[in-house]
Amino acid sequence: MKATIAQYYAGDSLLHRLDPRAKFVAVSALAVALFVRDSFAGLAVYAAAAVLAYVLSGVPFAWFWRAFRPLLWLVALTFLAQLVFAPGAPFFSLWFIHVSWRGLELATYLSLRLVVLVLVGSVLTLTTPSIALTDGLAWLGRPLRRLRVPTDELALMVTIALRFIPTLLVELDTIMRAQRARGADFRRGGLSERTRSLVPVLVPLFVLSFRRADELALAMEARCYRPGAMRTRLHPLRARWSDVVLLVATAAVITAGLLV
Amino acid sequence: MSGPEAVAGATPDKPRMPGAPGSAGMSLACGDVSFSYEEARAPIPALCDVSFELRAGRSLALMGASGSGKSTLLQVIRGLDAPETGAVLLDGAGPADAGYAALQREVGLVFQAPELQLFAPTARDDVAFGPRRLGWPEAQVTSAVDTALDVVGLPPARFAERHPYALSGGEQRRLALAGVLAMRPRLLLLDEPFVSLDPGTRRQLVGILERLKAAGVTLLLATHDVDLAWALCDELLVLGEGRVVAAGPWDFSTAGGRLLAANRLREPFFAELWQRLGRDPRRAPRTAAEAAEALS
Repeated sequence: MKATIAQYYAGDSLLHRLDPRAKFVAVSALAVALFVRDSFAGLAVYAAAAVLAYVLSGVPFAWFWRAFRPLLWLVALTFLAQLVFAPGAPFFSLWFIHVSWRGLELATYLSLRLVVLVLVGSVLTLTTPSIALTDGLAWLGRPLRRLRVPTDELALMVTIALRFIPTLLVELDTIMRAQRARGADFRRGGLSERTRSLVPVLVPLFVLSFRRADELALAMEARCYRPGAMRTRLHPLRARWSDVVLLVATAAVITAGLLV
Repeated sequence: MSGPEAVAGATPDKPRMPGAPGSAGMSLACGDVSFSYEEARAPIPALCDVSFELRAGRSLALMGASGSGKSTLLQVIRGLDAPETGAVLLDGAGPADAGYAALQREVGLVFQAPELQLFAPTARDDVAFGPRRLGWPEAQVTSAVDTALDVVGLPPARFAERHPYALSGGEQRRLALAGVLAMRPRLLLLDEPFVSLDPGTRRQLVGILERLKAAGVTLLLATHDVDLAWALCDELLVLGEGRVVAAGPWDFSTAGGRLLAANRLREPFFAELWQRLGRDPRRAPRTAAEAAEALS
């Protein structure tokens, strides 16, 4: 399957072993800090920290690049939009396009900031399995339970949804093959014809998903799952000294970024 | 329950079998076919240099442990995946020959658990899906659908307007088979067609396949059920980790038995019985009826 948007890379680096909660807090704080003060020097500090984190993650560049490549369009679009629409005295004009030094500076800054933001976010998702991430988020969301937000149930829903995406992709592939063997062609015709050609795929996929959901609910009930009940975990989250180090280091990087 | 008997009673002016009158089965040859699945880190080889031949109108049992490449081979033969090396010849024609695509359309593939692919609001529409894709005129589609429903023991008068999901599991399986038969395949590939069927439905399905065979359709049956394979098939092809480990008629020597065991298979029941009775296992009966006749 080719769906790899900053997909988890199984590894055993320092970053892989950190607590997902600490990683999530650090990444969120960095992401906010990126937007607090606009300066190239600050951006350089954050970029250096992001690159260092990426290097520590031990994820091969090809793996990261495959996830990043689709986002290049977004970066390019940001750059062009800023270049064309930013105010300032133009040094280059062509029809309705007026490029100013200020625009060029802004375009460079904003697109670089986007790249750093994606890099920071990718390091989190590349080194944290989705299940650990949802567990961490559920823990961080615990205060919301006082407001009767069912955080554990939400986390479970997300975990189950993530768990079944690969399964459904495999089933989708099988069904498409079966209908192709019966003469279906998903690439021919205009938009409406192509949309209609998906009916033989989507109907069985939905039927199958509902059946699977039904079976899963029964199986969970048979294993005594009760919503709202106190649950223990097979892999309890445990913060270590390295997590404290991560948070302190992040705080230091953010301070440095704000001061330079 | 309307079984194969219903077909036997079909009116004589109706074609009884999906194969158009006079159209014989298709011959198949695979030469050095290799295929591997693209995976994130490294490709996973599924077929390595698979070569075999199947003459028109013959039937072949494709066997081997789970994960040995059976399903992949069927999909490559049907053209859903292109082999990395080697070629699949249909009636002696290769991918470079004119008319190869048309020949591929005459290869029917019944997937594992094909009932999971039913989608239309009525049984008739679902079976008609394939023939309509082939661009047949509606009158021909209707007759092909009626014939196919008859062949699988779902008489159109009772079943054509039913909702596919309102049918029983066995009926759904047969309806999905009708969807493939309606396209009048000359080579029929079946992937584990007997799995999770009750004995009655299994027997019905065997009856359907026997009659397809009698009508000259070439059959390639991937299955774990050695006894049904022995009852239905003339030849055997055993795959192990994507390679051909045995091809040709069943071999009942000790080495042959060991080879089957090594691939998580066994000798067919009647062959073992014949061996234990000191008779020639190659002449072992295919069915209980034949056994009774031979022993009485």
